[in-house]
Formats: sequence, structure tokens, C-alpha cells
Amino acid sequence: MSEKNMTENKADANEERALSVFSSERNEDLTALVFCLITTFMVLLFTKWLA
Amino acid sequence: MPRIKDNMPVIIMGVFLLVYGLIVNTGVLLPAMKYLHTHKSMDLQVMMSFILGGLALVGALINSAKEPGNSVFDRFFLQPLGGVIMILLMAMAIRWYLEPMVKIMSASLQPVLGFKLYKVLNLNYVVLGILAGVVLTNSYGIPKFAEAGVKCARFVLKMGVIMLGARYSFAELAKLGVYSVWLIGFFVLGTVFLVLWLGNLFKQPKSMTGVLSAGMGVCGVSATVAVAPVVKAKSTEMAYTIGTILSFGIICMFVFPTIGKLAGMNAVQFGAWAGTGILNSAQVAAAALAFNAVDIKTLKVAEIFNITRVLFLPVIVLVLATWFGKETGQKLSFKSVVIDKFPLFILGFLILFGMSSAGLFSPPGHYKGKYIDVSYNDRTQVTPEEWEVLNKAMAAGEFKGLTAEQMAAVNDLIHQRQIAGNYQDRNDKTKFDQVGRARMTELEGILAAAKAKTVSISAEVKSAIKHAVKQVHKKSKTVVTLTDFMIWFFAFGLIGLGMQITKKSITQAGGWPIVMGVISGTTKATLSFFVVLWLVKDVVLH
Repeated sequence: MSEKNMTENKADANEERALSVFSSERNEDLTALVFCLITTFMVLLFTKWLA
Repeated sequence: MPRIKDNMPVIIMGVFLLVYGLIVNTGVLLPAMKYLHTHKSMDLQVMMSFILGGLALVGALINSAKEPGNSVFDRFFLQPLGGVIMILLMAMAIRWYLEPMVKIMSASLQPVLGFKLYKVLNLNYVVLGILAGVVLTNSYGIPKFAEAGVKCARFVLKMGVIMLGARYSFAELAKLGVYSVWLIGFFVLGTVFLVLWLGNLFKQPKSMTGVLSAGMGVCGVSATVAVAPVVKAKSTEMAYTIGTILSFGIICMFVFPTIGKLAGMNAVQFGAWAGTGILNSAQVAAAALAFNAVDIKTLKVAEIFNITRVLFLPVIVLVLATWFGKETGQKLSFKSVVIDKFPLFILGFLILFGMSSAGLFSPPGHYKGKYIDVSYNDRTQVTPEEWEVLNKAMAAGEFKGLTAEQMAAVNDLIHQRQIAGNYQDRNDKTKFDQVGRARMTELEGILAAAKAKTVSISAEVKSAIKHAVKQVHKKSKTVVTLTDFMIWFFAFGLIGLGMQITKKSITQAGGWPIVMGVISGTTKATLSFFVVLWLVKDVVLH
């Protein structure tokens, strides 16, 4: 692999990492899903069930 | 506290937020907020300022006193806190000050320009957020204290996509005839494959082609955001796609109504065409209203076609995941795509869509939380004064030129004092609902006819009918709140996205995404024009 390609791959990996604090994509998705379900439950609780 | 100097910006932001919250709480800013039409968010402004200000101060103090660590608390709270607070502060400034100011300014420029700049350029929080991020990163740069927080952008954007599911309901899809769904499916998938082919032709990066195909095929911003992680798209590529879609939509917004009128399309045909050919929901609505501001049918058909496209999102994600896997040389079976590669956050979108369709947030037939309730209810009655006005107008024979159905609807409104089905049918829910809705449509028809000056009724009568119609239009508080969350998630994510876009990355991509966007968009608009003219007759809706 040429040096240019390696630098490009490294830049891509950095870009990939730059937008995430999570160790893997799956963890990120799972956390987003859990957070959203909690949010939805809370919203339902305060705007529908307790309102 | 050895590191207090490093944390000073976060402390300053925290103090600023607390002081702002206190000022808003005193009500001093109320006149300004009323001018900006943000006074309804006053409580939210106070609450968010206090919570975020408090968190910023506590976090900054802990960060100043404690050595940086690698625990979960460090990685997910203490380190990103500065950046998260900064982006939220920017989002608050955009939502509560910049966006309303742009709206007011474009409204005051309307007499000079002849159109609303805000609508035409789509200068809402989405575009303003990305621009704010781009300006910051290319002028001052991302401050050191905010670096870790900016990394949360993609994660928060995904939460926005999940929340999007709550706004739609399967009942909307069921309103369309089977071939309308086929029609939309054909165009969505057709556009996706066309863009993928063009990308191959122009030798563009796979990630760019993948994200652009979803954006051009499905529905602009949300599809772009949803597909980007699947095809490993960079932020620049996402921004390019969003920019291409929005600018293409701006042209369509002006061109579509003119062509539609020249071709002599009817309300339903134009709605179907705009909903298929234009990608951004706001622009679809604008084009439908420009074509026909009186007949609400155009807008309704356009919106239903538009949301049906959104519901193709999970299918497109699967298609692109398979394509991307194959293009990057992985051997993928159907199982590995559907089960192993299928992004969990798209599953979240489906879960919320399922809950919404089941009627958990709002009655199942809702659209963006809005629904019609024609049940017999004291609270949906017109006022006694309005009833008096209607009764007198009827006795004086003021209702001239109405159709027999419209006349019957007015008579019933006077009789029942509200829009509802027949009282004696109240146990047969379907029939009761059908009759009530039909009456509402007739009354809306009277208002439209009055607006078009084909019938003349007094202002008081018009206002009474308007109130009666308004009374049966309900809005689910749950969906409104969930949508609010979605907007904040998108605002946060898009500001973060903008911060990844540097001058260098823009020059690297060149103008190819725009070329591909224009070719695929024009092809889709032209093809759908002929197909709609040929296939769609007057009755698409059940």
C-alpha cells in the first residue's frame, strides 16, 4: 500500500472517530435507542398518562 | 484547583446560562420574546438555562479539581460536557433568536422581493445550524475544551432519526391506493439506483454516492442523516447532499406550480407530482400551496405522498447496506445484512413508528400529531354568540350559492352546535365518524369558496364556521413534545456536523455531487410528471 493511501485511510479513520465518543457503532446505536425509548416513556408519562 | 484556567470557558458559559435563566424568569424579556414569537417557550428557556448552567458549573468544577480519567463518567460526561454545552448554547441562540429574526426580516422584505426569503432559501434551524458550525470551524476553529463534545454530534443525530418515527402513522399509508404506494416505491428505488449508477459513471467515492442516493431518493435531511453511518459517509458529504437537495428543491418550488398549471393538472395530480418529485417536506408544502392555496386537497395529497417516501427509509437503508457491503468487497448474505448489519437506530425508527401507528401517542390516523375528533363533546361546541350568528344568518337566507351538501352541513352545525356525526348513530363509531368528517369537509369547502369569493357570507358567519372547524382539529401533546425533542436532537447534531466541514474538505469534493443531484432530480421530476399525468386520476385517496 502506498504512503498516500495509508495517509488517506488514516484521515478517513480520524473522520470516522471524529464524530463519535463510543467505542463501536453498535454501542452508539444501542445507547441512542435506549435514550430515545426512555425519552419516549417520560414524554408519554407526563403528557398522556399523568396529564 | 490546578486546571481551573482550562475550564474557564465552561464556567463562563454556565454563569451566562444561569444569569440568562434568571433574567427570562423575571419576565423582563417578555416584550422582546413576544416580538420574536418565542414567548410560548419561556418556561422551557428558563428550565434549560438553569439545568444546563448548573451542569456546566458542577462539571467544570469537578474537571478542575480532579485528574482526567478514563472511567465511563469521564468519557461520557466530564470530557464532552464543554462541547455539549457550547453546541446547546448555539442551538438555543439559533432556535430562539436567529431563526425568528430571519423569519421576521424575510417577512418585512416580502413586499420588496415578492416572496419570503426564509421559505425560499429554507433558512430554518437545519440550514442555520450547519452554517453556524461551518462559520465557527472556518473562522475561530473548534475550541480545545469543546473537541470531545463535538464528537457526540452523530450520536445525537441518530436519536433525531429515531424520534422521526413518532410523527408518522401507518394509517396514512393505508389511505393511499395500492398503486400509489407502488408508484412511490418505484421512484424512490429508481432514483437511488440512478444516483448509484451516476456515481459509478463520474467515479465518485462510494460513501458520497450512497448518501446522495438516499437523500435524492427518499426525503432530504432525515434520509441523509440515517444513511450516512451505513455507507460511512463523511460530514462534508452529508452537508453536500443536504445542500444539493435543498437547492434543487428551491428551484422545483418555483418551477413545479408553473408547469403544473400549464399542463392543466388537477389538484390531486399536482399533489401527487409535488409529493413525489420534491424532496423536502417544507418545499413540498410551499409548492402545493403555490399551485392551489384554496383547495386543501392538493396539500393533503402532496403531504401523504411525501410521508410515504419517508416510510421507505428502512428499505433504502437495507438496500444501501447491501450495496455498500458488496462494493467494499465483503461477501454478504441476506441474513448478514438484515440481522448483523441492520443499524439499530433504524430499528428504533421502526419501533417508534409502530408505537405511533398503534395509537399510543395520538389516535392512529394522525399526521404529525394532528388529528380530527368529531365525537359528540361539549368542549367542541361553538360559542352561544356564534350559534346566534349562524342561526340568524340561516333565518335571513344569507347562505346563497351553497351546494345541497354544504347547506346540510350548515344546518346540522346549527342543530348540533358542533361538527359531529348524527347523535342517534353515536354507537356505530365508523358511521358516526364518517358523517362528522364529511360535514367538516363541506364546511371547509364553504370557507374555501368564501376565500375564492364564489359565495358571499358575512365575516361573523365565516368566523363562526372557522371556529367550529378549528374545534374538531386536535393536536396530540405527546407527539408535539416528541417532535420538539427531535428538533433539538437534529439542531445539536447538525451544528456538530457543520463543525466538521473545513474549507479543505469542500474543495476536495468538487462540484460533482451537485451535478449528480441535478441530473437525478430532474430525471425523477420529469418521469414522475408523465407517470402521474398518465396514471393518477382524481381518486387516489380512500
